[in-house]
Amino acid sequence: MTNRSVSRKTAIVGIGSTPYAEMYRAPGNCGTALESALTATAAAIEDAGLRKSDIDGVMVGGLPNYESFMLRAGLTDVRFVAYYPRAGRLCPLALAQAAAAVESEMANYVVLFNAVEFRSAGRRFGESEDVVRSGRRPTAHMETSYGLAYGMSTPGANYALAYSRYKSEHGLADDALGAVAVSSGQWASMNPDAILREKISIEDYRSSPYIAEPLRRFDYCLVNDGCAAYVVTTADRAKDLPHTPVLVASTAGRATIREYYASEDFWAEACRSLKNDLLDGIGLTLADIDAVSVYDNFSTSIVWMLEGFGFAAPGEALARVADGWISPGGQLPVNTSGGMLSESYLQGWNNHVENVRQLRGDAGARQIAGCRTILYAGLSAVPAGDVLVRGD
Amino acid sequence: MNDNMRPLPIPNDEDREFWEAARSHRFVLPRCESCGHVWFPPYAACPSCLSRERAWVEASGRGTIAGVARFHRQYLPSFPPVHTVVLVQLSEGPYVYANILQSDPSQAAVGQPVRVVFEDVTPEISLPQFTLAPAD
Repeated sequence: MTNRSVSRKTAIVGIGSTPYAEMYRAPGNCGTALESALTATAAAIEDAGLRKSDIDGVMVGGLPNYESFMLRAGLTDVRFVAYYPRAGRLCPLALAQAAAAVESEMANYVVLFNAVEFRSAGRRFGESEDVVRSGRRPTAHMETSYGLAYGMSTPGANYALAYSRYKSEHGLADDALGAVAVSSGQWASMNPDAILREKISIEDYRSSPYIAEPLRRFDYCLVNDGCAAYVVTTADRAKDLPHTPVLVASTAGRATIREYYASEDFWAEACRSLKNDLLDGIGLTLADIDAVSVYDNFSTSIVWMLEGFGFAAPGEALARVADGWISPGGQLPVNTSGGMLSESYLQGWNNHVENVRQLRGDAGARQIAGCRTILYAGLSAVPAGDVLVRGD
Repeated sequence: MNDNMRPLPIPNDEDREFWEAARSHRFVLPRCESCGHVWFPPYAACPSCLSRERAWVEASGRGTIAGVARFHRQYLPSFPPVHTVVLVQLSEGPYVYANILQSDPSQAAVGQPVRVVFEDVTPEISLPQFTLAPAD
C-alpha cells in the first residue's frame, strides 16, 4: 500500500475503545481482554453505522485465541479472518491487511482490534514474576544474547542502553528527555479518557525515580487493560456511512530485528525507508503533515521518529520539544491524546483511534484546527507506519 | 553472585562449542567457511549466506561500550539494584551484553574500550564479561 494506485481507496469508518481511565482506577473490576474486545468492537460497529450482520471480516489482535471472541461476538460466519497474537508493533501492517482485504473484495467490512489485560494480570515486562513463581532457574535465551545471565531484562533497559549512547553522542543533559513526558501530560490533560491526566513539570520529571537509568518512570509507557477497535471498508462504501471517512493514504513497514532490540542507528535507516514509502511514494512532504502520532512505548521513540523522518536534525529534537514544539499550541502536534505514555497502552491502536477522532474533528478541547493529514510511525523490532487523511 | 537462581545458558547444538571454549576462558565466534561472515549469537547457519559450514575463531576479546543501563528496580532475584549492564560492540562487529568486572561498574561509560574477562559461575558455565581497559 505505498503507491498512488491504491492510496485513498479504503477508509476507517468506525472506532471504539474501552474506558481506559475508569478501568485503570478499578483494576480488579475491569473484566478480561475478551470482554474489552466485545465492548470496543460493538462500539466501533455502532459508530460506523453498521449492524453486526454487515461485518464479514474479523482481525483479532492480542487475545490468546480468536474463536473465543468470534463465538461471543456472534461473528461466526464471516468471509475473512486474520489473527495477530501480538498486534502492537504490527498495528499499521494490520491496517494494511484490512485495507487489502476490502480493496480486493475478500471482505466488505472488516472489524479489527487489539485487546490486552496487562495490568490486571500483573504483567510487568520484566520476566521476574515467572522466575519467582516457578522457583526454577530461568533459561538465558540465545536470541537475547544470553541477556538474562547478565541480569539484562525488560524492553525498557534496551531502550536505556540505546538512549545512553544517544545522550552521550549529543552531549545532552540528564533531564533533556523529560520534555517529551511534559508534552504528553499537557495533551492528556485535555483527554477525559486518559489514564494520566496530571500535567507534569520538568521538576516532577527530575524527581521521578529511575527505572533503567538513564530512563525515568515518566519515560515508560503505561501498563493497563482494554481494547481499541476500528472498522475498515472501501472508500466507496464509506460515502454511505454517517461519519466523514478517514482514508488510508499509505502504509509501510521496515523490519529492524536485532538481538538487543534497539537499532544501532536509532532507527534512522528504517525511518528513511518508511518516509519514502509513506510520503514520497504518494507525493506528500513533511509540510503536508498536520499532526504526528508515534508508538511511544518509551519517550525516546518520539525523539528518534521525529529525527528519523527529518522533522529535526539528529540530536536537535529534544531542544525543540523543550520549547513547546510538539505540545498543545506548538508547530507540530505529537500524540494529541497523550499516547501510550499518558492515555493508554493499547500499543498504537489507541493512537489510531485518536487520529481518526482528530481527522473527523471530534477531538474536543485538544482538536487540531483544520487537521487533514496525520502521519503515524512506530519504531521497534518491526518499524511500521501509515498516513491517514480526512476524506472530504 | 554465585547463587542458585541466577539465569544461566543451557548449551545446545547451536552454541555448545561456544560454551565449551568459554569454560577454558577462550572467547570464540563462529565464522562462515563460505563467505567469511562473523556473527553472534552462534546461530547454526551463517545469517549472511545461510551456509552451515562454520569455523570457530578466537575473538580479539576487545570491544567498546555501546550502551550503559543501570537497573534501579529489581526484576531478577540474583541482581539487586543498582545493577549495571553494558552493551559491548566487539571489535569484530557483533554486540554482546555484559557486566563490568574487575573494575568499577559506576565508571562504565559509552565509548570506553573494554576487554573480555571470564566469570566462573558454575563448573559448566563461565560467562564472558568485560573489564574497563586503557585506550590503546
